[in-house]
Amino acid sequence: MKQFTFLLLLLCLFTCLYSDVSAGQTEIRILYINDFHGFAEPYKPFGSDNFLGGIAYLAELVEKLRSEKPSVLLAAGDMIQGNDWANLFQGDSVIAIMNAMRFDCMVLGNHEFDFGQEVLKKMITEARFPVLGANVEGVENIKPYIVKQLNGVNVAIIGVLTDETPVSTHPKNVSGILFLPPAEVLPNYIAEVRDKADLIVVLSHIGYSSDRILAGKVPRIDIIVGGHSHTKLAQPAKVENTLIVQAWEHAKALGVLDITLDEGRIVKVDGHLEEIRPVEGSEKQDIALTVKEYRQKINAVMQEKIGQAGTDLDGENVRKRETNLGNFITDVIRHTAGSDAAIINGGGIRTSIRKGDILTGNVYSVLPFDNYILSLRLKGKQIRETLEHGVSAVEEGAGRFPQVSGLTFAYSLSAPVGARIRDIAIGGKPIEPDREYTVATNDFLAAGGDGYKAFGDALRESSVFSVTGGVIISDRIVYNDNSRWLRDIIIAYIREHQMIAPSVEKRIVEVP
Amino acid sequence: MKVYVNDRPVVLTHGMTVRHALIGADIMSRFDSSWRVYDEWGNEMGLDGALSEGSRIYVRSEDDLQNGYGDSRL
Repeated sequence: MKQFTFLLLLLCLFTCLYSDVSAGQTEIRILYINDFHGFAEPYKPFGSDNFLGGIAYLAELVEKLRSEKPSVLLAAGDMIQGNDWANLFQGDSVIAIMNAMRFDCMVLGNHEFDFGQEVLKKMITEARFPVLGANVEGVENIKPYIVKQLNGVNVAIIGVLTDETPVSTHPKNVSGILFLPPAEVLPNYIAEVRDKADLIVVLSHIGYSSDRILAGKVPRIDIIVGGHSHTKLAQPAKVENTLIVQAWEHAKALGVLDITLDEGRIVKVDGHLEEIRPVEGSEKQDIALTVKEYRQKINAVMQEKIGQAGTDLDGENVRKRETNLGNFITDVIRHTAGSDAAIINGGGIRTSIRKGDILTGNVYSVLPFDNYILSLRLKGKQIRETLEHGVSAVEEGAGRFPQVSGLTFAYSLSAPVGARIRDIAIGGKPIEPDREYTVATNDFLAAGGDGYKAFGDALRESSVFSVTGGVIISDRIVYNDNSRWLRDIIIAYIREHQMIAPSVEKRIVEVP
Repeated sequence: MKVYVNDRPVVLTHGMTVRHALIGADIMSRFDSSWRVYDEWGNEMGLDGALSEGSRIYVRSEDDLQNGYGDSRL
């Protein structure tokens, strides 16, 4: 007995010496990630020489940190769409990992809607953790908030996401769903949970600058765990009395926020990001195995036959002349966007496909970039400017050379740059300089890539912009769907039509 | 929406990201491993980070940061 008492005293002494938590105080830990986008495997970020991330490595760290003190593990949205590791399984792979990692909850991000409402419903059903969305009406089985008890502390976690979701996804993905401004709905929920919670956490997918505005506008939020802007908040920020944290993107960092409370009041906060580097042997084995299994499935999908090419599809000459592959891709773009014409940069098409079987992997090789389709209203003279730019560096084999659908034109290399284009027609009729036409393209050109300026000019001229019932109302933007990559649309088209045999049709003609 | 890259205005559609802003500012094609993108409060952002009306982002190289340059020379 004496020995036991001595050991107990020793333990008490040890606790007093090595813990800075005073009697009556409670410590809890919030672990968080955001904007995972299915980046399960370590990768070299664009412009970086080092591998970062890897969900199995992050999961092992989560286990270690959880064992140290009572913790919650939160996901601040955009978990299931982005990387092929998630896209090819419409997010199933991500939910499997999140279940295995025992997430406590997640908030919907705008990209959770990208695979359509049926897939979203399935995702919510399969998740073994609550999915939050306090400012969303019309999605079944989500909750506005949860209250979690941690070490005697009641933590309310309220989820909100960007009310701009309808303007950046296909309207059918959000049809019948209402997105309310977070600042409008939060005060009511805060009032509802205030009496039963010691700590109020808003799990947000609205972006860091909006989180700051929210913190200044809505009182009584203790902590905002944010996402959407992929911000690497190395230390918690403070606006008014609210702490804001965010953990970068793609599982490249795990957020750790240690909170000490005394009789329900926060008395100490210590937050930082743990960067995730793939050091061999430091991965959680079961998660690593799941990641590997899905990688094997991806390899199988890449070898899957999706249709047939009735002729060789030319991706080699896309920087210097019209090709049948350029025609095929731009035709699909134009039809998808329902536009008068389509223009893309030849440099976006990276290789050819031989006559015969078309595999999923072939399309990935042709279109390796994560591009999506937009369509804008351009005047005839802006289309001319666009094409003039497109043929301004043919001699150098520049990637800006256009591939087109719905329009034809001729150009002369003997004419000076800026005056090379002749005889533009849309729908078989000569274009009128001041008439507006809808022109579909990819997001790269719409943003001004390869030096294309006309799309940006058109956007600058845009004066009306609003969203009504999930439909974009704009005098310039007529289609904007970043929920599907172009290559996935091409794959779906080939699957549906099975045989494709496009030809060169004198859409682009070089004249003396 | 209008955003600013190194204080230069760039017009983008809603849903476009830091990456698109850099394309619009003609920086993306020159982006290298020593460059990082920061928001107006000095926090690093990922290239797929969402932007909103009036967002201001800055591209800086490690050299700039080490030399204490407030504004980008890129």
